[in-house]
Amino acid sequence: MKIRSQLSLATLLVIALARLAVADAPPRQINLNRFPATRMEDVVVPLPSEVFNVLDKLGTPDWRGEMRTPNINSRGARAQIALLLGSVVAEGFVAVEAMDKERVKQIGRDVLELARAIGVEKTVLARTNAILSDADNGDWLGVRRELDGALSDVKNAMIELRDDQLAHLVSLGGWLRGTEVLTSIVGKSYSPDGADLLNQPDLLKYFQERLAGMPPRLRGNQLVTRIQKSLNEISPLINGTISPAAVRKIHEITSDMVKAINSNA
Amino acid sequence: MPEAGFVRRLIIAISLLAFEGNASATVDEAIAKAMEAMEPYAKQGYLVRDDQWGGDLGVKQQQAIPHTLFKGNDYWFAVGTDIDSAHITIHIYDNRGRLMENDFWQHGRFAGAHIVPPATGTYYIIVEIASSPAERTHWAMVYGYK
Repeated sequence: MKIRSQLSLATLLVIALARLAVADAPPRQINLNRFPATRMEDVVVPLPSEVFNVLDKLGTPDWRGEMRTPNINSRGARAQIALLLGSVVAEGFVAVEAMDKERVKQIGRDVLELARAIGVEKTVLARTNAILSDADNGDWLGVRRELDGALSDVKNAMIELRDDQLAHLVSLGGWLRGTEVLTSIVGKSYSPDGADLLNQPDLLKYFQERLAGMPPRLRGNQLVTRIQKSLNEISPLINGTISPAAVRKIHEITSDMVKAINSNA
Repeated sequence: MPEAGFVRRLIIAISLLAFEGNASATVDEAIAKAMEAMEPYAKQGYLVRDDQWGGDLGVKQQQAIPHTLFKGNDYWFAVGTDIDSAHITIHIYDNRGRLMENDFWQHGRFAGAHIVPPATGTYYIIVEIASSPAERTHWAMVYGYK
């Protein structure tokens, strides 16, 4: 009798624990179309350092060969400056990879200059000073952190100024230059893992939607229109397995875009 | 790189202040708790992004946060709430709805999920207020990677 009651107690305990475990265990599969969760409207746009962190692990590309000198004197409308600012920050990551102190410091100064041009200089002053001193000290991780931070701070300042659209363009400028570098590196030494880094269809869709939703004054900007068309060309290339030919094509498109951003064309 | 429209620290504070006087304090509390949950991973070398996502949810309500994760990185996501006795959970699914996290934990108002993505692509971070004495509970999420 005592054994039976002990068994019953043990059984109850097992059932209780099992229920607890079931309650705590997440479902292995969910139907995203019928999932009750409210979905945030936007995707999380990864930081440039998240991509470069992976590129670090893909071998030792010729980073110096990837460096470009941004043309920050070719400044036009605010939309172009925002795109240029994003691409300059991405360039900073290339210079960090190349461990080029002078180039990193110049990029820090360029970021400040461009931030000044769109009225958010104060926001990034501390960051750009930190970029200069971290570069002098060879603290590359520190430089990366400050570049990421500068990008976030500039965009937050723009949002505060109710200039959300420009904030999107800063992100897009960074994405275009980052993708140009990524496709250059992957194209020179193709691997499915490397090409898989381009598998960002939702991120691309997000940028396309942001451009489509811009007010007419921005949508009518020649550079913005051109970029919108280019994103539409990239879109079918990054669904599924990304072939060497697709990598080359994406590289061509993004290179043209970065050149256009730098020449205010 | 958070975007406009994301409920992030500043945005949350601004939008909630419009109809709730002390909202920023509660949001700040949720962010502080999420950062607290992230602390051990920062010490392990994870780079913690200086942005937060969050909002407020009712009990059993869920929020999905789409996020592009890269194969080759290793991520920890952490959440916290402003209410001491609330229970929050966080899990990670891929774009086919499959549970993908390598590890997770739940401890009252804190929770975390770990993923080493097997492929680059869109993943869904699902946050749920499992229980709370309040009708709405403020939550915040942060993440780190290495």
